[in-house]
Amino acid sequence: MAGLVLGLPEPRRNEAAALFRARGVPHRRVEQWKYSDLKAALGDAGVGAGTAQWRTGDLPGGVELFDLAQGNPPNWVRENFAHATDNVMSAASLTLAAGGVALRVPKGVTDPLTLDFDGAGHVRALLVLEAGASLTLVEGVGVAHFRNVGLEIVLGEGAALDHIRVSPADDAAVLVEEADVRLAAHAQYRAHFASFGSKLSRMEVEILLGGAGAQAHLSGVSVLDAKHHSDVTTHVTHAHGGTISTQLFRHVAGGTSRAVYQGKVTVAQGANGSDSNQSAKALLLGESAEANLKPELEIFADDVKCAHGAAVGDLDADSLFYLRARGIPESEARGLLLHAFLEDAVAEISDTDQRERVRTELLAALKGIG
Amino acid sequence: MLEIKNLHVSVGDKAILKGLTLSIQPGQVHAIMGPNGSGKSTLSYVLAGRAGYDITEGSITYNGEDLTALPPEARAAKGVFLAMQYPVEIPGVTTMTFLKTALNSQRRTRGESDLDAIGVLKLVRAKAKTLNVSEEMLKRALNVGFSGGEKKRLEILQMALFEPKLAILDETDSGLDIDALKLVAEGVNLLRSPERAMLVITHYQRLLDYIVPDRIHVLARGRIVAEGGKELALELEAKGYEHILKDVA
Repeated sequence: MAGLVLGLPEPRRNEAAALFRARGVPHRRVEQWKYSDLKAALGDAGVGAGTAQWRTGDLPGGVELFDLAQGNPPNWVRENFAHATDNVMSAASLTLAAGGVALRVPKGVTDPLTLDFDGAGHVRALLVLEAGASLTLVEGVGVAHFRNVGLEIVLGEGAALDHIRVSPADDAAVLVEEADVRLAAHAQYRAHFASFGSKLSRMEVEILLGGAGAQAHLSGVSVLDAKHHSDVTTHVTHAHGGTISTQLFRHVAGGTSRAVYQGKVTVAQGANGSDSNQSAKALLLGESAEANLKPELEIFADDVKCAHGAAVGDLDADSLFYLRARGIPESEARGLLLHAFLEDAVAEISDTDQRERVRTELLAALKGIG
Repeated sequence: MLEIKNLHVSVGDKAILKGLTLSIQPGQVHAIMGPNGSGKSTLSYVLAGRAGYDITEGSITYNGEDLTALPPEARAAKGVFLAMQYPVEIPGVTTMTFLKTALNSQRRTRGESDLDAIGVLKLVRAKAKTLNVSEEMLKRALNVGFSGGEKKRLEILQMALFEPKLAILDETDSGLDIDALKLVAEGVNLLRSPERAMLVITHYQRLLDYIVPDRIHVLARGRIVAEGGKELALELEAKGYEHILKDVA
């Protein structure tokens, strides 16, 4: 096979290749891909074999970068890269990507880090935050016919990562990404996934709360129109007691678009005193728009606090009438309510610049929705 | 100012108002009293323009214009205000943003220029004081987590801010204790003026002790069945609706 990530040990590469060969490109008869038929979206072109590009912005002082296309990876890459997972698309990128990037962040970094992915093909990325380090990661998503990003995030004890990803609107792009996030004790992962939909876009996140006090706070918004499709699939495992996870997703779907949220929370045996909350809501603006919201809980521990809820509906008629009766024209009143609906999730973004940026993009997208 | 003639209104295929006639002049305060299910809230919604209420017969004329032809926002801009029985909670929109948007929307519809944020804030602050609406309330999401009294005070604050020509108060007394009721009534009384008409809709006479009407109409089974001065409220309180309804039947 041509051009592989050089740092990847042979047995691990073979394992990934075997997994991908055995399962093939996922389609709607695969349970986790029930609502997002990747095989159908890709058609005859399939997943291809090319390598997509990555690019970082100015590296904040102290951040170390290793190009995965180079040989002789340093120990911190060897130790953390290509963690075994059961994810078929992650296996695909391990098998097919000839490049990628690894980044290590020490304690004391304050500037945000930009990481952009662009072009078609597969690409890998590894982000390691050392114990006590904190970072805001702004992930850029370029439009391409098809791209598959395999991202790994490793958070050391007490590390805190703020991850913001905005997926742009495009009629033709098929964009999938698998993030595998592993947290040590008292580490915190906050992520916000905003999506404006494409032919198919899917963000899949696997999170392991692997130490006491580890926390994951996921939020996201999507504003979809035309035939756009956006999927956020999450799996949070509370492997240790005293861990917390929250998820808050809000979708607005117009036209014949489709919003998908699948969120599974597993509380492992012995992870007593875990706390998890999932909330997913969608507003359907088009008669043929669709939302599939599927929160799921799997509990093997005692004394846990788990809540989940999902709701699909139209704008609240009482609220709309109230605003109009106060003189606000219907279209403006609808806009105000849509914005308010999304704001719940936008408010979860802790970085003020990024929050403002997402807000602005949402408002622009809401204006065009039909 | 407001002329309602032989108004028939249905919701779905259920007739709610069955020939209601009512006339209000500027400067007057009229009260509509009636038992539950008599059509009081239907009347307030029809006046404000809520969808789902079909006018099958009759007319509503407001300052010589057919009110029913206008969408709710146009009615608001022309000075019709409904203080609602159940003000809605809108998470994600702060009270102050809402007030500014509403005020400027009405001004724009009337062809007036927008007030800037500072101008609106000054105006709101001035009105908020007398109604005991705090700065903190204005910063919170609209009606979210407000007590019953706070919600009703905010309704009256809006009335003070928008300066309507016709104000309809739908069960503004419901859910209020006596202190909250007095405060709201005081706010309303401050807004009584020779140019402004008010229609106070209530189940109980209690509110009318504080907002004394010029005229009282009793609404039952979709029609006005009795009319009189403020003493009618006391009679209703003493004898109950049954007594009056018997006389009508």
